[in-house]
Amino acid sequence: MAGSKGVGLSRSILYTLVALGGMAGLTRLILGLGATTNLSDAYPWGLWISFDVLTGVALASGGFIMSAIIYVFNLKKYQPLLRPAKLSAFMGYLMFMVGLFLDLGLPWRIWHPMVMWNPQSILFEVSWCVMLYTTVLGLDILIFALERWRMERGVSFFRNIYVLLIVAGIMLSTLHQSSLGALYLLIPEKMSDIWATKAIGLLFFVSAIVGGLSVITLESLITARIYGRKPETGILSSLARAMAFMMLTYFAIKVADISIRGVTIWNMDATHLLFYLEMFTALILPILLLTLPKARNTTGGLLWCSSLAALWVVLTRFNVSLTAYAGYRQIDYFPSLVEITVTVALVALGILVYDLGAQYLPIYEPYRPTSRPIEASLPDA
Amino acid sequence: MSKAMLIDTTRCIGCRSCQVACKSWNCLPGVPAVFSEGSNPRYLSSNTYTRVIFREVVRPEGGMGWYFVKRQCMHCNDPACESVCPVGALRKNEDGPVTYDDSKCIGCRYCLMACPFQIPKYQWESAVPLVRKCTFCADRLAIGLSPACAATCPTQALLFGERSDLLTDARQRIEARPDKYVRHIYGETTVGGTSMLYLTTVPFEQLGLELRGLRTDLGDVPYGMHGRQWMGKVPFIALAVGGAALGLYKFNQRRDKVQQAGKEE
Repeated sequence: MAGSKGVGLSRSILYTLVALGGMAGLTRLILGLGATTNLSDAYPWGLWISFDVLTGVALASGGFIMSAIIYVFNLKKYQPLLRPAKLSAFMGYLMFMVGLFLDLGLPWRIWHPMVMWNPQSILFEVSWCVMLYTTVLGLDILIFALERWRMERGVSFFRNIYVLLIVAGIMLSTLHQSSLGALYLLIPEKMSDIWATKAIGLLFFVSAIVGGLSVITLESLITARIYGRKPETGILSSLARAMAFMMLTYFAIKVADISIRGVTIWNMDATHLLFYLEMFTALILPILLLTLPKARNTTGGLLWCSSLAALWVVLTRFNVSLTAYAGYRQIDYFPSLVEITVTVALVALGILVYDLGAQYLPIYEPYRPTSRPIEASLPDA
Repeated sequence: MSKAMLIDTTRCIGCRSCQVACKSWNCLPGVPAVFSEGSNPRYLSSNTYTRVIFREVVRPEGGMGWYFVKRQCMHCNDPACESVCPVGALRKNEDGPVTYDDSKCIGCRYCLMACPFQIPKYQWESAVPLVRKCTFCADRLAIGLSPACAATCPTQALLFGERSDLLTDARQRIEARPDKYVRHIYGETTVGGTSMLYLTTVPFEQLGLELRGLRTDLGDVPYGMHGRQWMGKVPFIALAVGGAALGLYKFNQRRDKVQQAGKEE
């Protein structure tokens, strides 16, 4: 393994961070939300909702996007990215689940939406979609494990229902990625005009696609270096074009939305500066960079562009869920040490889970089965 | 059949016995006094379901005057909290109160985010926290009593009764004393109508209540409508996306088969 000394050190740091986060999470469960977080009646939703839930889910959209690209749009050349994307999506939803568990006031009741229904609630729909989609991702990982340990009967069972997993994954993701934005349809009066729009569901969906594409690119480039594989620069470069196109789409929708609603966007307060950072630095800059062949076709360029794109997705979520209230709330919010520690630990946990999966499951290595791999149930795979 | 409360602020003397009665009936602890606006406590919280806001503004006839506006849950006819709650813990009862079921709540706090009047408050200090807010004394209503605050009000500024009767009463008051009342009943149509109806001498806009939980720019449409409109589209999006994905997948499979057959020939 290339650079194994650095990799070993990184792993120890990650394990330490997870341990610290575990302690912080335990403190939160024992002492309660008020004692350990800076949440209040003025800021009922804070860092954990903005990052662990909204950003986490958006960045983990890669699984369903690769499924759609390969099976629905029939672009088979992206096949090598499918399994890593599914693993990173699973890791993302796992982080999200732990984050949500800690954020709920009464986490042991997390199962309530399964039996207590309120069909007019968008959050009710989101919880169902997320539960089902995490199950779909879990089954994907289970299939990898069945292949790895050569449990042929299990693999052949899932081969029969594989198309259902693909279609369900795409449908559930479309719904909850956009519905997470639609949660904010009910609170326009508390939000800054910049973000309080009817188009928020669509905007969340489009930016989630960018989130997924950027994470697939980052993960592919970084793991290539760590596990000493050759980076897939060719297909990643085509993927980067798609990412730039989606970002441009977002920009067009946002500009249209702002001009139709007649929002004045020129101001020099913190809210507007963060909006400019979101739109001009984190959105326009990678789009412009990606028009240069040098940025598109080199690992360094791709790394920079997809990092910027991922940062942009983070900004879109933070701006909608925190910045948008600055003009309305009289109290400021900054996350507590426990909130920050837990969030950092979740990222570390995600990386470690991915690392384990990449080592033990047939993610990169061409699977040499006694029978065919799961994708072989499908044409041309 | 729906009960309501007419809050005639012109009759309120700011004694705050409603606050005391509320705390007594609901067994809520007192909060140390921090005098900031002439009224105390400064904010509603999981321990304070109602408070009287003291406002000193210019009278219609000139000169400064004190105005007292009681704040509590508005008990909307079509509450945003009820529509957002993923487990249906919040419910508008037929007789008026919007009540909360302790045993259902998961603690997601979407109701705190969504309420246009910022009424639901959380027990942040607890390790097993629940949402707390004015219940319109649903327990007292059930045994034929009026809400504790209305029962204790010494000046009949809080009038409890049928919503339709109270609206008629309010309009009569406005007609009888147009010099004393603004021609507007806050809550009659606000966010689709609320069980709390306000009469004032000075327009709500001039009382400086925008950041104190009684906004005037909320409109007459219930906020839950935005959510329901979205949820109405969800089944169609699901069918369209699911159908398109399945259709294209099958199409690709078929085309690949045909191509393969072509190659073999």
